Amino acid sequence: MGRSWHRTHLSREVRVAWAIATKDMRTYYVRPPSLMFGVLFPFALFLSFSIGRNTPISTQIPVLIAQTLFFASSSIGPVVIPSERALRTFDRFLTAPVSLLAVLMGKTLAGFIFGVGISVIPIVVGVAFFGTQITSIAALTLCMFLSALGFSAMGIMFASMPGQSPGTVLMPLNFVRIPLLFVSGVYMPIKDLPAWGQVAAMFSPLTHTIELARYGLGGGNFFGPFVNIIVLSAYMVVFLFVGIRFHIMNQRRE
Amino acid sequence: MFFSGGMGLLLRSMTEIPAVEVLNLTKNYGELLAVDHINFDIKRGEIFGFLGPNGAGKTTTIRMITGISIPTQGSARVMGYDIQRQPIEAKEQMGIVPEISNVYNELSAWDNLVFTGRLYDMPKGYRESRAGELLKMFGLYERRSEKVEGFSRGMKRRVCIAMALMNKSSILFLDEPTSGLDVESVLTIRELVRELNQEGLTVFLTTHNIEEANQMCDRVAIINRGRIAAIDTPERLKRTLESLQSVEIAFEKGKANLIGDLKLFPTVNGVIKEGDKFRLLTDDPPTALASAWKYAEVNGLRLITVNTVGPSLEDVFVRLTGIRSTAEEEGGKGKISEAREMGKGREH
Repeated sequence: MGRSWHRTHLSREVRVAWAIATKDMRTYYVRPPSLMFGVLFPFALFLSFSIGRNTPISTQIPVLIAQTLFFASSSIGPVVIPSERALRTFDRFLTAPVSLLAVLMGKTLAGFIFGVGISVIPIVVGVAFFGTQITSIAALTLCMFLSALGFSAMGIMFASMPGQSPGTVLMPLNFVRIPLLFVSGVYMPIKDLPAWGQVAAMFSPLTHTIELARYGLGGGNFFGPFVNIIVLSAYMVVFLFVGIRFHIMNQRRE
Repeated sequence: MFFSGGMGLLLRSMTEIPAVEVLNLTKNYGELLAVDHINFDIKRGEIFGFLGPNGAGKTTTIRMITGISIPTQGSARVMGYDIQRQPIEAKEQMGIVPEISNVYNELSAWDNLVFTGRLYDMPKGYRESRAGELLKMFGLYERRSEKVEGFSRGMKRRVCIAMALMNKSSILFLDEPTSGLDVESVLTIRELVRELNQEGLTVFLTTHNIEEANQMCDRVAIINRGRIAAIDTPERLKRTLESLQSVEIAFEKGKANLIGDLKLFPTVNGVIKEGDKFRLLTDDPPTALASAWKYAEVNGLRLITVNTVGPSLEDVFVRLTGIRSTAEEEGGKGKISEAREMGKGREH
């Protein structure tokens, strides 16, 4: 029973990751939890904190971009993985001739595309209706690319925590996501935070998304775009690595 | 030596390397030892049955061999590839049908198979022709565009088996493939597995249905409480219990304290009531039979059924696992019914 179709290892990993991502996109993007936590939640949060404030909408567009990237990208993993683990369809990936990294990259890619797709909306709206100007397309592109990948990997990491069931994954994730809003320069500029707040902001990945988005749209930047890029890249690697470790722990426990 | 070098190795791999080699495989769940240092081989081209009651460790074993679960200790090789050290090569060789039909309910039957092909990185043309071929083989081609969520349990099972065959695997792992299915689906699946095996596919089948193992398997391993109790062909396993023969009788009418009287027959070691029949366990069937005739004559009863029965795989299972005797000692009914559940479908 020969199989002659196998091609090089790396290209195969990429193709299988893409197959997983496209399957997840078809299956999970329009699920109510994806739409509620990935689309409705960031827009509702933004409106509840921005309506009635004396700042022009154009200066708040980077915050909306960052929030949509943050919530949309990190919501797909917690919808997909616990559901697939409960229905045992995740076992299909564990028995497929492909690495765990490729499987999680596929899952990450599904969150990445969802996050980028949703966060393009405030950019288009800002540019078209509120006079938002893109001053550095490279910074804005990097902001979206690294943040969507990193936050998607963060969602997958939480979804892969041992002992999680579909109904309980979003609880610890929101326990982290919501407090991060208050230390990341969303509601108060980082320069106005106390020293301990600035240290906390430094360690929040969301800070660097907002900073890079502001930089790309001509606003100020506290830590500098280079630091933003380094921190977001580091978080992406850490989240993916910890996610893989969690899956290996699950395989040892199950 | 007719063969040397690469050719010799290839020939050896085709003939000598077992389809599955399990060495000292162990799984702990905290304090619970679910699988306890088991060892066995599966030859290429055979149907190997893994028989045991619920919770014996069958599914845990299959999950470790297929790479879903990481063993606490020991190793498993599939077609010569270590599942932990060479997982990609090992997984290329296998198809898996888990206990629960893990199909994608939101996708159509066609999309389920095509997605499986993509997981195995099969080229588009090949995976589509293979998907069509399998859907036709399993009688699902006409409904290929329908979402699987609307399918019956038997149809989902067929989709699941078709998905396991997408990559033209060398070995098929079937975990309780017919459990909970209607008779027609059970017969269809058994027939398909037999046909695939005749075409050269090795099959590893876990079941708690003794008759299924008896009918389908070339060899059977009996697992109980995480340990292998015996491995052999069904017939050889039965022969190990030649002393456990029995005489099956039925009277036209009953009589008070009938079981008590039957137990007093010479050479009868025990009596089991099976519906309107009585099974007299004995190592001397002619003497037990003579006693039955005499008893019927003296008490004015008429014997309407008389059969001598050799030991069944169920008897072997009961003897090796002690399920029925343990239950009787404890006076409980649960394990007795479990032992009978395991023997369901048995033909006398």
